[in-house]
Amino acid sequence: MAVVAFSAAETPATPRATSRRHAIRRFKFSLLAPLIALFAFVLVPVLLLQLYFSFHQWTVYLGSWWDADYVGLDTFKDVLTDPRFGRAILRSLAFATGSTVGCFVFGFALAYLMYHPFRGQAFYYIIFILPMLTVPVVVAYTAEMMLYQSGPINDLISRLSGIEFKAAWLSNPDLALTTVSLLEIWNWTPFTFIIMLAGLAAIPKEPIEAAEILGASKWRIFWEVQLPLLRPVILLALVLRFLEAMAEFPKTWALFQGGPGSATETLPVYIFITTWQYFDISKGAAMSYIVMLLMIVIVLGAIQLLRREKRSLDKMYAQLEDPKEA
Amino acid sequence: MAMTKSKRRRITAIIRYAVLSVWAVIAFFPIYWIISTSFKLDTQWFAWPPYYFPSPPTLANYLNVWFGAEEYAQTQYAISSQKPLISLYNSMVIAATSTTLSVLLGSMIAYGVSRYRILSEVRMFQLLMLRMIPPIVVVAPLSLYYTAVGLIDTRFGLILVYFLTTLPYAVWMTKSFIDEVPLEVEQAAEILGASRWRTVFEIVLPLIRSGLVATFLFILILTWSEYLLALIITKTQVTTLPIELSKYQGSTEGRVYGRQAALAVGITVPLMIVGLIIRKHLARGFSFGMVRR
Repeated sequence: MAVVAFSAAETPATPRATSRRHAIRRFKFSLLAPLIALFAFVLVPVLLLQLYFSFHQWTVYLGSWWDADYVGLDTFKDVLTDPRFGRAILRSLAFATGSTVGCFVFGFALAYLMYHPFRGQAFYYIIFILPMLTVPVVVAYTAEMMLYQSGPINDLISRLSGIEFKAAWLSNPDLALTTVSLLEIWNWTPFTFIIMLAGLAAIPKEPIEAAEILGASKWRIFWEVQLPLLRPVILLALVLRFLEAMAEFPKTWALFQGGPGSATETLPVYIFITTWQYFDISKGAAMSYIVMLLMIVIVLGAIQLLRREKRSLDKMYAQLEDPKEA
Repeated sequence: MAMTKSKRRRITAIIRYAVLSVWAVIAFFPIYWIISTSFKLDTQWFAWPPYYFPSPPTLANYLNVWFGAEEYAQTQYAISSQKPLISLYNSMVIAATSTTLSVLLGSMIAYGVSRYRILSEVRMFQLLMLRMIPPIVVVAPLSLYYTAVGLIDTRFGLILVYFLTTLPYAVWMTKSFIDEVPLEVEQAAEILGASRWRTVFEIVLPLIRSGLVATFLFILILTWSEYLLALIITKTQVTTLPIELSKYQGSTEGRVYGRQAALAVGITVPLMIVGLIIRKHLARGFSFGMVRR
């Protein structure tokens, strides 16, 4: 709902109008100046440096970085033929997809159970958003305190099920990525929950009431009335969560450092290890560049989608405020 | 076997409470666990079978970690430094400064976008890229650049990157509040001869002050818990609390769960309080103002 209030173009070209137009232009520029300065002094130099290192061979063991050898596309070739890099991409995609779906299923289910007012709603709401308000590193260390083999989680599962349960959440390579995904789901289900709750609260009542009068079952109302109306919010929740999960670093790193073996070596972790443990700055930079391009493609797609869905959301809110606008 | 409507409703309610309560236990148990561990004696940190309640509860972990109280530092688990308090100070200064900058300049940009369209709709979405591209892809060159310009391991260096990475949230969230302010007020101010800057600072921003507070607290949450950038940019001189906590994870100290828990509770509780204060605005914040309540 962007409203342009003071349009300079419509005024006739009298000297006063011209000076007013200049004043507006100055005003507009000074609002933007900090952003431009930030780009010029932080973002642009950093991106240029990254480009430099991708095309020059340098590790911290070599001399000064500014006389590093130009190697052209060799580093990129090195990265693209590195099977570890390919596995890291797959792992990241699997982790992001799995945890996004998990967060969505739980978050949506909880929101659906909660959007009608009931006794104790505020209490459940507060408990449900707490995991999101826990510092990610704290989540990692709490997980370590709970998930070791003779720890409380295995003990509780054994007691509840009556079967001796001894999962090696932290040391079994086949289980480690699942463990991090479960942590991510625990940590961020509140995100989907609050977004879906806000979405459910905002959908107009009339179509649902009309369907109820026509005798539609709850199930049909959900699939044929509520779900289509919720589409923008659903896509928003999925897209934002997926992108955040692709970037997840603190929990994976603090808990596993990529291990056991390389079971939790997602893209951020592999880049981190290459750069800060092998000190292979060039390879890290080339890898970063490829990941950045990959993410730009994904993000541009996501933005396209978000733009479309935001428009339908804005329309929905406008209708809620003023039903005549429909 | 036709059930009456009220009976069916009661069954639905029972199922609802059951499901919600199960999830409430799942959501709260880890938080309970870290709080209870922080009050446990060192013999109970990883005992078998696990101690589900601290018996008796002790403040030793807190006194040792936060205040360096030596009398609680049994030889093996001694942590005798006042580092966490210094990190607490750093975290507070860094989070408060970068968040203030972000909200102040972000709301200026948001005002420009809302009223003068200084950024087109496409540019606004491109601004989101600052947030959506994983920060890991720029940390290596960022650290070298910071070394070159002398910003590495300084509070200002961290403030600057936090400002940059939280700006999209600030712009989008404050814009969603500014969009809700009716134009008539500003047009009246213009006719009365108020300058553009005065209109912004004395009319528009005060009108959305509760929104600004919500934005401020929301971004505070993000900067307070940030890990990766702090890990790279700060080394020894300046550490924030999440980094301080991860230092206790050394193999040399072994498993000092109680101490870690005392530190972790101290980091997380302020965050939870802030989050609960703005719980009504969290959806708007995380969705860049696209979802409103």
